[in-house]
Amino acid sequence: MPRNRHTGLSRLFPYANDKRARLTLIGVLAALSAAAPVIGWHLVGDAIDNGIRDDDEGRLLLVVLAYVGVNAAAWILGTATWLSLAGVGQRVVLELRRDLFDHLTSLSLRYFSQQKAGWIIARLTSDVDALSDVLNQGLTTLVVNTLTLIAAIGGLFLLDWRLGLVALCVLPPGVVVTRWFQRRSHVAFTDVRTKIATVTAQLAESVAGMAVIQAFNRERAFQSEFDGMNEANRKANVVAQKLSSVFFPAIEFLGVVATGAVLWAGAYFIDVGTMEIGTVVAAVGLLALVFQPLQELSELYGQVQAANAAMDKISSVLDAEIDIADAPGARPLGRIDGRLELDRITFAYGKDPVLHGIEIAVPAGGCIALVGESGGGKSTMAKLIARFYDPGSGTVRVDGTDLREVELRSYRRQLGVVLQDPFLFSGTIADNIRFGKPDASDEEVYGAAAAIGVDRVAARFESGLDHVVREGGAGLSAGERQLISIARALLADPRILILDEATSNIDRPSEILIERAFDRLLTGRTSIIIAHRLATVRRADEILVVEHGRIVQRGTELDLLGQEGAFRRLAKSLHADGLTSAA
Amino acid sequence: MSNVDPPDLAVRPTLRRLFPLWWEQRRLVGLGLACALVFTGLSISIPVLTKFVIDDAIEGSHRNRLLPLLGLIVAIAIVRFFVNFTRRFATARVGIAVEARLRGLLYDAYLRYPRAFFDRHSTGEVISRATNDIYPVRYFIGWGVVQGIQSGMMITASAVVLLIVNPRLALVSALAMPAVAVLTWYFAHRLFPISRLVQAKKGHLTEASDEAVIGIEMVQAFGREDDVRTRFLGRAEAVRHETMRMATIEAKFLPGLLALPTLGIAAVLYLGGKDVIAGNLTIGELSLFITLLLQLVWPLEALGWIINLGQRAVASAGRSFAWLDAIEPLPEAAQPKPLPHAPLAVRFEDVHFSYGTGSEVLRGVDLAVEAGEILAVCGATGAGKTTLLNLLPRFYDPTGGRLLVGGIDTRDADLTELRRAVAIVTQKPVLFSVLLRENLLSARPDADWDEVLAACEAAGVAAFVDDLPQGYDTLIGERGVNLSGGQRQRVALARALLAGARVLVLDDPMSAVDTQTERLLVENLRPAVAGRTVLVATQRLSTIGVADRAVVLAEGRIVEEGAPQALLAAGGPFTALFGDEALAA
Repeated sequence: MPRNRHTGLSRLFPYANDKRARLTLIGVLAALSAAAPVIGWHLVGDAIDNGIRDDDEGRLLLVVLAYVGVNAAAWILGTATWLSLAGVGQRVVLELRRDLFDHLTSLSLRYFSQQKAGWIIARLTSDVDALSDVLNQGLTTLVVNTLTLIAAIGGLFLLDWRLGLVALCVLPPGVVVTRWFQRRSHVAFTDVRTKIATVTAQLAESVAGMAVIQAFNRERAFQSEFDGMNEANRKANVVAQKLSSVFFPAIEFLGVVATGAVLWAGAYFIDVGTMEIGTVVAAVGLLALVFQPLQELSELYGQVQAANAAMDKISSVLDAEIDIADAPGARPLGRIDGRLELDRITFAYGKDPVLHGIEIAVPAGGCIALVGESGGGKSTMAKLIARFYDPGSGTVRVDGTDLREVELRSYRRQLGVVLQDPFLFSGTIADNIRFGKPDASDEEVYGAAAAIGVDRVAARFESGLDHVVREGGAGLSAGERQLISIARALLADPRILILDEATSNIDRPSEILIERAFDRLLTGRTSIIIAHRLATVRRADEILVVEHGRIVQRGTELDLLGQEGAFRRLAKSLHADGLTSAA
Repeated sequence: MSNVDPPDLAVRPTLRRLFPLWWEQRRLVGLGLACALVFTGLSISIPVLTKFVIDDAIEGSHRNRLLPLLGLIVAIAIVRFFVNFTRRFATARVGIAVEARLRGLLYDAYLRYPRAFFDRHSTGEVISRATNDIYPVRYFIGWGVVQGIQSGMMITASAVVLLIVNPRLALVSALAMPAVAVLTWYFAHRLFPISRLVQAKKGHLTEASDEAVIGIEMVQAFGREDDVRTRFLGRAEAVRHETMRMATIEAKFLPGLLALPTLGIAAVLYLGGKDVIAGNLTIGELSLFITLLLQLVWPLEALGWIINLGQRAVASAGRSFAWLDAIEPLPEAAQPKPLPHAPLAVRFEDVHFSYGTGSEVLRGVDLAVEAGEILAVCGATGAGKTTLLNLLPRFYDPTGGRLLVGGIDTRDADLTELRRAVAIVTQKPVLFSVLLRENLLSARPDADWDEVLAACEAAGVAAFVDDLPQGYDTLIGERGVNLSGGQRQRVALARALLAGARVLVLDDPMSAVDTQTERLLVENLRPAVAGRTVLVATQRLSTIGVADRAVVLAEGRIVEEGAPQALLAAGGPFTALFGDEALAA
């Protein structure tokens, strides 16, 4: 999607491009349906002047029938306009959701680590909903009423330009009042939105931290804090409502003044014989057609403002730069052998580099383990291998090809990742395992589940593997979630497997079970293991000790134990000998 | 276990519950209704005066009445401006006040709901019940009720005036009214179920967004963007489809509502026109008929919206009140027994527990922890360790048996006192978006700074606090600094140590802390918790080292207990859990 400079709702214009023909048709429909009531009033004037005043019943009947016909046509035109506008609006909403979603899933983890998930989700849902509301009813109100307004004013001048000019006497105060309302209510509505956002944020935080609030008896403090925010929101609402409560009656008042002026001038023109009473009646009716749309348009104002603000927030997501993208001419990757090279890699999340000149080479099917204190850069290295980030300098190569030159997905499909805190999707346990390989047969899923011991977990539930997991995996322990995510990786049968602290939440017997499965899980593929248990890392062909973004030692377990250095220090704690030393 | 997902309240009970909230605002409601009455009178009088302008001053011979009549109309319009302002403002404030009240009630209730409630309902649902769901209630009460009554008054008043002016013509012009009424009823009736459906579909869409955003690392890692996209787009399409169904109904109804009354106007124009020709009706009266009939269009249209809004409001309020009424906060003893002023022993007596779905998690746990003892709770993943520990601060109550703290059944103790006596560190610690200092102090705001420093030293917070931009005054959370999992755990541990509780419950408190740091922490922990009763669940042998005694939980029962050293040598379940880890050493 090309970057564009539009702000607010104008950002939606590009979505209208491929709908020009339809929009033109809608414009014609809407113009006709707006003209209908104006024509109706002209007919009423004609009925009075030429039918009733001239005692011409035939003419009266004819005009009345025309009046009925025009209004029937208005009904059909109105329905058609409404429907087609809603159709276009909802199409735009769908396309916007699609673009937003596609953009989001293309953004790198850097973006997701900077923005809170709830914030991003609100863009996809409530903000697009605000737009949808405006595009649904709002757009129709806007189009039809604007056209009605124009048609009514035009119709008034067409009926009698002198009366039109007289009615215009309320225009200057009308403009002043409207400008005042717009300025003030912009501030007021912005304030309301800010205040309700605070309330929502407080709610979200309280719900997430409810266990802590309750455990530490903090209910009262939180309640009084919330009451303050709730009250501030109430006050902001009162201010905003006061403004609209002044504005609409003021417009209504101006309408009466305009009517009075038209009656007064009409009486004069009738006196001098240049006008008939029917024209005055029609002019009064047309004035009502001018002021009704004005009211409805102003009602819309707050809604449009909210949508504008929503669109600005959506735009901030759409404008987030995709920093990991397929280079032009990126090649899809065929089945890889899994030879991995990290060549003089440096990397920084922000200003301070976290990796300095990392050199790693793993042969196809090889297994390396990364050990070291947390914060040393182990996970960052794994993330570079998965190309969640690109290195600041240096190159990550797979089978000798720079990762930046290959099609991202063709590579990631051959990748399996197990994280310390795995995410489960809502669906059954089996669905979650199948996530890594959607076309897997039931037998394959059961096989993977049994190999990892998920079948034992599932036995707790009546429906077994078909037990429905709620999003995030509530109802399962951290270890059980981990087992499921490992089964997921096993089923995916990746060429390169990354285990990032995959077993640290798991009890020892389960871990042993998994490690037995590791034998199967790791054979025939390249693997990178990050772990803090010696039993887990000792199976690696090479162990790399990472400290402060550098590889300080490398070799087999025996090599490293034989040397004085970081690994020996680390091994003491890896050896889990805490029991003897602390007890 | 009490019901945490009650069915929505029916219409009548909902209205019964809503009424007191409305009644609290009776002054504003009364003011609004009085103004609505005056407004209706004034609004009718303007077209009536216009009739006199036309008949007497313009058509008739009383030209001198023109300016006084127009002056009177403008004067009435000025009064109507103030009346209308007061009506709108008063009514809107009623809605805003009820919105704030209802939200306050819900939040207040949330703070007192048991854990089971939060297990059952997603965060999004809980939040939107107190925000978006309330808006229909606000608009119904703050606009719909008074507007509906006013619409009724307007219709009645117009009918009266028309009947007085010309009964025959009035009846003719009313011909279109039944059709309007049917259309309005049909509109409200059809729209409501679809608007509910739209809400439900939006919920599904949010779910799909959640998993794509929260699970993004998994999605990207497995290259599964296309599947997630298909699911998301399918649900977005479902929302579009239902929204279009709603738009179809609106598109048929609303233009029709404008068109139908014109049938009455046409009839009036033709029959009234003949009357005028015959000399039985004046032009002014004819114009009055047309004006009043047009003035009725908006009140009639409003009725359609109000009925729809009312249905949505009652549905929303029914859901909220169902929660407020049916979900019981944890039952508290009427006459709570005080906990002894001494170190507290903990005793599980044949404790059973089930989450209500699936089988029992705890199946008769008998366990006594002496005051001042440190007990390690071990067991395989899913054995029930977290469940067992969560009973102590009464996040849940046992479904069978009882739990004694200081010899008092937790259900008989004062909840606040119990929770002051028991401090917990949960598996995934939650910190609030406030300063680090305030997070640490949140368990005991009046703690001395020296105590804070000591707790931070023992919990290993001191080791990284200097790396934070503003030290203890660093803002934590999305707008501040995001701490790593291990750092969060250490802050949570410090917070619990500071709470001054006599019982400490640590649920895998160092799982995200690296092994070297863990060793340091374990060494510091014993002196820091001296004199307190500690229950610690863990997967790591090194953490167990801090304990006096360990128990092994398997399939909801205690299957082994003893000193860790002895257990290691015993060759039982404990050895199975940790044996080879020790052998590695």
